[in-house]
Amino acid sequence: MDFDLTEDQRALLTAVERLVERHGGAPAGADSYILSGAELERDLEDGGYYDVARGQDADGAVGAALLVEAVARSPRAAEVGASALVAPKLAPTLSLPRPIILAATPLDGAVRFLGSRGTAVIDTGTDVRVLDLSTCRTAAVDTPFAYPFGRFVDLDLKNAPVLADVAPDLMRQWWRVALAAEIGAVAQVALDMTVDYVKARRQFNRPIGSFQAIQHRLSECATMIHGTRILARRAAWTGDGADAAFAAAHAKETAAKVHYDTHQFHGAMGVTLEHPLHFWSYRLKCLQGEMGGYMAHAKEAADAFWP
Amino acid sequence: MNFEWTEGHRAFRQKAKDLLAEHLPADWAAQTRYDQGSIYAANFSRKFCPILAREGMLLPHWPREFGGSGMDPFYHWILGEEMAAVGEPRSYQYMYCNWVGPAIMAYGTEAQKQAHLPRMTTGNVIWCQGFSEPSAGSDLAALSTRAERTANGYVINGSKIWTSGASVADFCFLLARTGDKRNSGISVFLLPMDTKGIDVRVIKTFMGATAFHEVFLTDVEVPESARLGEENRGWQIVRHVMYNERIGAPRYMLTLNALDHAVALLKAKNRFGDDMTRMRAGRARGALNAARTLCHQVIGERVKGRPPGPLTNVARYAVVMADRHVAEFIGDYLHEELVTNDDPLIAAAYRRTGSTGFAAGAAEIQLNLISRDLLQLPREG
Ligand SMILES: Cc1cc2nc3c(=O)[nH]c(=O)nc-3n(C[C@H](O)[C@H](O)[C@H](O)COP(=O)(O)OP(=O)(O)OC[C@H]3O[C@@H](n4cnc5c(N)ncnc54)[C@H](O)[C@@H]3O)c2cc1C
Repeated sequence: MDFDLTEDQRALLTAVERLVERHGGAPAGADSYILSGAELERDLEDGGYYDVARGQDADGAVGAALLVEAVARSPRAAEVGASALVAPKLAPTLSLPRPIILAATPLDGAVRFLGSRGTAVIDTGTDVRVLDLSTCRTAAVDTPFAYPFGRFVDLDLKNAPVLADVAPDLMRQWWRVALAAEIGAVAQVALDMTVDYVKARRQFNRPIGSFQAIQHRLSECATMIHGTRILARRAAWTGDGADAAFAAAHAKETAAKVHYDTHQFHGAMGVTLEHPLHFWSYRLKCLQGEMGGYMAHAKEAADAFWP
Repeated sequence: MNFEWTEGHRAFRQKAKDLLAEHLPADWAAQTRYDQGSIYAANFSRKFCPILAREGMLLPHWPREFGGSGMDPFYHWILGEEMAAVGEPRSYQYMYCNWVGPAIMAYGTEAQKQAHLPRMTTGNVIWCQGFSEPSAGSDLAALSTRAERTANGYVINGSKIWTSGASVADFCFLLARTGDKRNSGISVFLLPMDTKGIDVRVIKTFMGATAFHEVFLTDVEVPESARLGEENRGWQIVRHVMYNERIGAPRYMLTLNALDHAVALLKAKNRFGDDMTRMRAGRARGALNAARTLCHQVIGERVKGRPPGPLTNVARYAVVMADRHVAEFIGDYLHEELVTNDDPLIAAAYRRTGSTGFAAGAAEIQLNLISRDLLQLPREG
């Protein structure tokens, strides 16, 4: 066991963090709670970062999880988990046009990042298919979340190619790892921001962060986030289906608690567009339920772990 | 990052399992009900620890010069995990291995090292921890047991409470007040339990028949050589040696064992079929996995020789949360087994998880420390 990053992983992280930083932090005062990540994605793609996990080895998978975390820490809604972790694990030799969209049948709802470009990787329940999105018609959907969403208007799933030898379970496994990694990072920023806020905001002649009632809930958030981050990286390393489901279950429980508590301690300020918390909290709210809430993943984990 | 044990670690774990398989008596569970404080377990430890010692497995992480094996702290933790998983057949002998011995190595005089460390390496000595008092629990620095100077040492008066293992212990690692200043008026004494003036009484609990004690100290005379470290520096010693102990021993292994066992039982009785039951079991196991991995991360920091930090408190609180999930799972889904009380492992884990939140320091104190040291939030008031 060694919990330090390898030299390669550290170098990767530094490079990605620099790149993310170049795209800027949260703008002061926004008129939308979705901040596009398209340009950041383009730079990541040009830099070849999405291919980190392609080697099929454990170090590469952890590297990809670190990439997901670093990108998720930015205020932007950038598609990273599917491209960096899921696609390379399912189709290591294919170079699918990005962005990669993850979806499961029936395809009648709204799908995160779905638009007219890139590839949809679809869990049909019996196989995994890839769909060239330029052949489909989609429409944007307005949702309460800080990610762009779309829905299919017209698509031909029957003729979409099947990914050979890829079971839907494998897709769901890496989707879970990607979700857990993303939640760990987004939740960490929401917590950090809240810690800063409660240190600065004064009521009753003292910083509200000096109240034990607030301290304990934020410390519980910190504990759950630590657990989520380590389980996500571990699941990336082991490539084990049960580990992925445990990580996702823990992450989703964390997401629910962290977005609630971080908003609670921002008071009314937290619901304004002026305060940047929403760039993270409204992604957390979305990630909490994608593929089902924590109960669904906990049950899957139990099924995989105690077959 | 690397989440795999080395070959050395794996072999060591296997050896620990093998030794347990060979030496743990067939009626261990029935006799002890997984209570490390039982007389049976304490007596057994005096046979079993010498075997560990012979095999070089009693003090894996101690430096060789003090009779240890000089291995990295992961070995110590692996040993702890395997022992905890079966209800701790070392009984309270794990305490000197974890922190009493290291405290004496760090702060003891040559004579104290000679008097105590070789005895520990034989695996036949039990230490207890005399910290808590009726009015000093979480607020340990409020302790009032006094050690007054005499011509050739000290005379100690006061009382301790919740002392695990006191009725079977040979020595007590005792905190007593030698000055009036709260934190800097406390000293450590290495007290033989057969010293005149010590009266030990068992406290009845639902933790086990001889789990806890009150220890009354009436005019207990000790020589100056019984004091560990400088006078009034006891608080610093305790902080130093106990910091890593905040994650405690790997007791979560008994919980983990019990949860896996509970699932096997439910399956055998066709009670693991519905989604809600599985969901709850999965949630508890996930929380345990998180807690265990965080503990491993803390030990990983020790392996790298880094000073302890607030990750320790985070890991400890994660253990508390995980134990609570398991306790609630057992309470909700193994009610029948709890009522018939004929499954020692389920019963023991249920009992034990009832005290994870305050044994070895209250959970809320961990949250206070995370707030202060990790989040760096301002103090209240
Ligand atoms: C199984 C077991 C074994 C033990 N073995 C030993 C032993 O061998 N030797 C020994 O010396 N002691 C031992 N103890 C005692 C243990 O260290 C104390 O129980 C612990 O320090 C808490 O003290 P207390 O029980 O007096 O609780 P109190 O200090 O009275 O606290 C009660 C509760 O109040 C809350 N609380 C207290 N302070 C705060 C605060 N600042 N902020 C928020 N909430 C707070 C917490 O919820 C806490 O659980 C043992 C305890 C157990 C359960």
